[in-house]
Amino acid sequence: MTARLLLVEDDERIRASMRLALEDEGYEVDEAGSGETALERFTDQPADVVLIDLMLPGIDGFECCRQLRRTSAVPVIMVTARTDTHDVVAGLEAGADDYVTKPFVAKELAARIRALLRRARSVDEPSVLTFGEIEVKPDEGTVQRAGQEVHCTRTEFRLLCELAANPGKVLSREQLLDRVWGYDYFGDGRLVDVHIRRLRTKIEPDPANPRHILTVRGMGYKLTA
Amino acid sequence: MRGDRLRVEAEERRRRVDQGHGREGRRWSRLGLRARVTVTFGMGALALSATMAGLTYFTARQFILHERETAILRQAYVNASLARSSLRSPTQNITLLLDSLDTLPGSLSVLEQRGQWYATSISVGENAIPVGLRSLVLSGVPASQHFVLNGSPEMVVGVPVPSVGSAYFEVFSLDELARTLRILALALAGAALVTTAAGAVIGRWASGRALRPLDEVSKAAETIAGGRLHVRLVAADDPDLSALAASFNRMADALLERIEREARFTSDVSHELRSPLTTLATSLGVLESHRDHLPVRSRSAVDLLSGEMRRFQRMVDVLLEISRVDTGSAELLLDEVEVGELLRQAAYAAGVGRIPVDIDPAVGRFRLRVDKRRIERVVANLVENASLYAGGVARFAVEPAAGGVRLVVVDHGPAVAAGERERIFERFYRGQTSGRRGATEGTGLGLSLVAEHVRLHGGRVWVESGPGGVNRFVVELPTADPDQAAS
Repeated sequence: MTARLLLVEDDERIRASMRLALEDEGYEVDEAGSGETALERFTDQPADVVLIDLMLPGIDGFECCRQLRRTSAVPVIMVTARTDTHDVVAGLEAGADDYVTKPFVAKELAARIRALLRRARSVDEPSVLTFGEIEVKPDEGTVQRAGQEVHCTRTEFRLLCELAANPGKVLSREQLLDRVWGYDYFGDGRLVDVHIRRLRTKIEPDPANPRHILTVRGMGYKLTA
Repeated sequence: MRGDRLRVEAEERRRRVDQGHGREGRRWSRLGLRARVTVTFGMGALALSATMAGLTYFTARQFILHERETAILRQAYVNASLARSSLRSPTQNITLLLDSLDTLPGSLSVLEQRGQWYATSISVGENAIPVGLRSLVLSGVPASQHFVLNGSPEMVVGVPVPSVGSAYFEVFSLDELARTLRILALALAGAALVTTAAGAVIGRWASGRALRPLDEVSKAAETIAGGRLHVRLVAADDPDLSALAASFNRMADALLERIEREARFTSDVSHELRSPLTTLATSLGVLESHRDHLPVRSRSAVDLLSGEMRRFQRMVDVLLEISRVDTGSAELLLDEVEVGELLRQAAYAAGVGRIPVDIDPAVGRFRLRVDKRRIERVVANLVENASLYAGGVARFAVEPAAGGVRLVVVDHGPAVAAGERERIFERFYRGQTSGRRGATEGTGLGLSLVAEHVRLHGGRVWVESGPGGVNRFVVELPTADPDQAAS
C-alpha cells in the first residue's frame, strides 16, 4: 500500500516540485495551499504523514499542527526556513515529530518520512513493559496510566518504548535520535528534548519534577520505575 | 577599503598641517593636550607673577629709596646748619665739631673750609667724594648724588655754607638699603617661581578634570571597538559634557543600527533565497533520478547543475549560519563530552576514511562543554578545506594547551603563505593556492564559519606550518573544568 502524504505549502512552485520528487519516491501526494484547506482535506481523507510549512497565509504552520493534533496522532514533519531555536522548538511543541530545513534534499525528506512510517517494531521486546503506574504494550501500540489510556503520537510512543525497554540505562540523545527518528548522526538534540517534555506531561504525575523519565545532565535520559 | 581611505585622508591632512606649521608646530602638537595646557598655565602664571613681582619691586624700591633720601637730606641739612653755627665761633676745633655731629650709623661727614678738608674718617676724605658734585657744591649749589665707593653703594649730600666760607658733605652708606632690596627681590622671585609651579599644577589638574569625560569616552569607544556594541555613555549634568555624551551615544546607536541592518540584510537575503532554491533543488533532484533516461548532452547539463546546486545550497547554509552569529541569535547547545571522543566522532561525521587520530593520553579524557553540532561543523569544514586545497587530511590530533586542549587537523600542504594565515579566516577570502585547486568547489565561507564557531566557544583557531610544508589547523578550546587543565 502506498503511503499518502499531505503537503501543506503556500508556494505553488515548491509544492509542484516536491510533489514530483515525492511521487518519484513512491508516495501518493495530496496538496494544500493553506492551513485551512489542509485541515479540511485531512478530515475528508486522512494522510499517513503531513508536511507543514511553517510560514503560511491565514493560520500558520504552528496553529495548523496544533489543530491537527487535537484529533490525530498522524506523524507531522514541519518544513521551516529557519533553524532558529524559537521556530524549531515552537514547531515541535505544537506537535510536530520532526523537521526539515529549506532548502532540503528530496532524498533526505523521503528518508525522514520513511523513518516516521516505520512501525514501532518489537523484535525481542516483551509484550508488556511496566514501570510505576505505567503500562506500555508495544505490540498493540497503547500506553495506560493507572488503567487509563494515554494518547501518544507515534513518535512519542516509540520514544517511550525505547526508554522502557532499557530501564535504568542512560540513553544518549544520539542513541534516541538513531533508534526513534532514524538519524544516523546529524540529528538535532532538541527533537529529543521537546518530545521528552511532551511525554512527561502525559505520563508523569508532576511533569516539573519527573519521577520516571529522568534527565542525566550532559549524557541523556533514563527511565526509572 | 573605506577605513583605509579615511586613514589616508587623515594622514594627508596631518602632512598639510605639518608643512604649514613647520617643525615647531609638529613638536608642540606632539605634546599631549594635558602637557600643553600645563605648560600654558605655567607660562601664564610665570608672566603674571613676574610682572607683579617687578612692579612690586620697583614700587617698593622707589618708596624705600625716597624715604631714605628724605631722611638723609634732612639730616645732612641739620648737620650743615649745626656746623655753620659752630663755625661762627673762630676757636672751634673742626675735628671735634664733626665728631659731635649727630650722624646715622654708617654716615660720615666731610667738611671743607677755606681750602682745608676735614673728615670724621681717615678712609673717607675729600677724594671719596665725586669730583663733579664736589665742584658743584664748592661753587655754591647744594647737591646730592649716588655713587659706588669700594664696591658698596653710597649717597653723598653736599651743602654749601657760604656764610662761614665752608661746605659740608655727608656720605651715607646705602649698603643696608641694598641688602633689603636684594632680599625683597629674592623673595619676589621665589614667589614668582612658586606661582609658576602652582599655575602648572593647576593647569595639569584642570586639564585632567576637563579631560576625564574623554577618558570615559575613550574607554567606551574601546569597548565598542571590542565588539560590545551596547555600551553607552551616561549623560552628565554638565551641558558641555552631555552634548558630547549624547553625540557619542548617537554615533554608537547609528553604528549598531547599521551593523544590525547589514546582518539582517544577509539573513533576509539568505532566507529569501531559500524558497526558489528549494524548488530548484527539488526539481533538479527529480531530473537526477531520471538521469539515465536523459540524452547524453542533457545528462551533462544536469550534472553541472547538480554540482553548482550543491555548492549554492552550502553557501546559503553557511551564510545563514554566519548571519545568525552576526545577529546574535546563534545559541549554543552545550553538552559535556570527552575531547578524544568528540574529535573521533567529528572526524567520522566529516566522512573521512581511515585517517589516524593521535590523542595525547594526558588530555584525551578531558571534558569539554561544547555544542557538538558546531564542533562537528568546525571539523567538517577543516576537512573540506584540506581536501579542496591541500590534498586531504593527513592526520588528526588532540594536544594539550594551557587552560584547554587543541584539536589539530594536519593536511598534506602546500603550506598557506605566511601573509595569508590570518586572512584565510575572512569571509570569501581565497588564498593563492585556492586558485589552482578546489576554487570551483569551495564556498569561500568555510573557514570563516570555523572561526565564528570557535569564537562562540571562547576558543581560538589558527593555522601554522608543520614540517614538510604541511598545514596544521589548530582549534584551541577551554576545558569544562579549569582544574583539569592544571592537573
